[in-house]
Amino acid sequence: MKRIVSLLIITLYLSSSLAAQEDKGEQPWSVNEATLVGAGGYNIKDTYLSPLKYTGWGMRILNERMKMTRLANYNVSRQQFINLDLAFTRNPAETASSFAGFADYSLGYHYHFLPDPNLKILTGASLKGLFGFIYNTRNGNNPASAKAEIDLNLSAMAIYRLQLKEYPVTLRYQVEIPLSGVMFSPHFGQSYYEIFNLGNNDGVVLFSSLHNKFGIRNYLTADFPVGNFTIRAGYLNSYYNTDVNGIQSHIVSHSFLIGFVKEFVSFGGKKLKKTNSYNSAYY
Amino acid sequence: MMKKSIPYCLFLLVSLWLFSCEKADEYSSAPRENFEALWKIMDEHYCFFEYKDVDWNDVYARYSVQVTDTMKQDQLFKLLGEMLNELKDGHTNLISSFDISRYWKWYEDYPANFSEDIQENYLGTDYMIAGGMKYKKLSKDVGYIYYGSFSNAVGETNLDYILMYFKDCKAIILDVRDNGGGSLTFSDRIAARFLDNKITTGYILHKTGTGHNDFSKPYELTLIPSERVRWLRPVVVLTNRHCFSATNDFVNKMKMMPHTTVLGDRTGGGSGFPFNSELPNGWSVRFSASPMLNAAMEHTEFGIDPDVKVNMLTEDMQRGKDTLIEAALQLIERMNIKI
Repeated sequence: MKRIVSLLIITLYLSSSLAAQEDKGEQPWSVNEATLVGAGGYNIKDTYLSPLKYTGWGMRILNERMKMTRLANYNVSRQQFINLDLAFTRNPAETASSFAGFADYSLGYHYHFLPDPNLKILTGASLKGLFGFIYNTRNGNNPASAKAEIDLNLSAMAIYRLQLKEYPVTLRYQVEIPLSGVMFSPHFGQSYYEIFNLGNNDGVVLFSSLHNKFGIRNYLTADFPVGNFTIRAGYLNSYYNTDVNGIQSHIVSHSFLIGFVKEFVSFGGKKLKKTNSYNSAYY
Repeated sequence: MMKKSIPYCLFLLVSLWLFSCEKADEYSSAPRENFEALWKIMDEHYCFFEYKDVDWNDVYARYSVQVTDTMKQDQLFKLLGEMLNELKDGHTNLISSFDISRYWKWYEDYPANFSEDIQENYLGTDYMIAGGMKYKKLSKDVGYIYYGSFSNAVGETNLDYILMYFKDCKAIILDVRDNGGGSLTFSDRIAARFLDNKITTGYILHKTGTGHNDFSKPYELTLIPSERVRWLRPVVVLTNRHCFSATNDFVNKMKMMPHTTVLGDRTGGGSGFPFNSELPNGWSVRFSASPMLNAAMEHTEFGIDPDVKVNMLTEDMQRGKDTLIEAALQLIERMNIKI
């Protein structure tokens, strides 16, 4: 595990050290920003609350920003994700319901490979923080399961520019897998009253890695112009599975999203006045 | 090269999606499946098997043979309720849309030792109410507080006003009879008003795994004196068998106070912090999950004995007298003579 983390850090360092060799920074780099809203199905199980899987639907709002950085001579982009989702689910017998809410932020860096003029392959890593809860409306002293964690993720992306006759479409597929981090979890039969009211919080923050946590986020989008706007339609599949302190938790969602894309130069200055063109990290 | 790799990428993509899709558990009303689910939930999470000397495998053997595929819902519910009652636990219930199974022997088999009608002879109708507490001066020297449920909130300001109201009294009777419990927060909040030094009131444990004896190390519970208005004069706490759960915890704490006497009947117990779970058919189950011990590291699941045992007398009740309140008044009188 340490080797993989070290390799990532060395890769980023070596990439940045090459920055001085060839300057691609003459033309300004724009920020690609998209805000999408969506809805979809959720499947949630947390054995701290119930041994059963709850299913239902949820809403999601997602903001994404991507910009090239100076690292490795403008070959490394920075990507930020802010995701908020809220789900309403019921037990299989439909006699109980639960609400779940999650907020996560991730900051990722990707190295760009250009194997084909229309294709970009991005590989890198991201740091992700997540806060959330699953609240079971029927339970008494174990009504909620709190989620709080920070992860280092492996991330890869493919962006493909497609020309359907005269109509340009940009397809993107991104996959993210948490590698290691820290997470909160009560002990098997420990109440939140004991942790928070009585202060027995020993061992509730744990190291997480592939041995006790597996997650994957598949994100597929298509950008296409409509009039003067660029629309982004997407599908986001998130799978999250943990087995910590004898408590199994799994959250699976399938969301369909739609929103607008904005391409802008955040700080133009003199450099921008000299030219009307700019480079995008995305297109 | 690129074209060759596209099918592999697509294969990987589809594999990841298929891997990440999972079918939800389906509803099941099958008696066998629900019996097995309930037995397993209790087997893995219930916390008093050893203390109560319950052989849960034996319970399985005895009840499993009674489960049939053709059982009706109410028959299954009754059977599962009886199985849970083997645990003799007031915190353990099976809850369906049509019934709630319960174990109430901890008070059903004992004298009530409380009557609201007789209490009215003392409280009258002109008592005051602050938060969940009713209070009144029974004489110029004795204050009386009745707290009927730890589910009814009592704020710090409520307690300030109540104790200030009794500032000229020599003693208080704090009646928690028929209080079936509620929030432990109020137990601490109220008890802290009668405390002069920080004390250890008990310990809490939680299960760390599915084994019957998989418990954490006992975690010390301490109580710190309130920084607001406190009562450090004599207090008599009245109890009966209905004092359960958070009330049992409160009595445990009050028994440790230097100026407090617990008078009445043994409490009902209920020292397991309850959790909830559920069965595939949608019924909910509540059970004791996390034991709380007293300061001597003993279980109080089956109740706490009073310092002074007093039962209601029939002849007193016929005269409209509350034997416990009368005994408390006499005790206070004797205390005051000593003071």
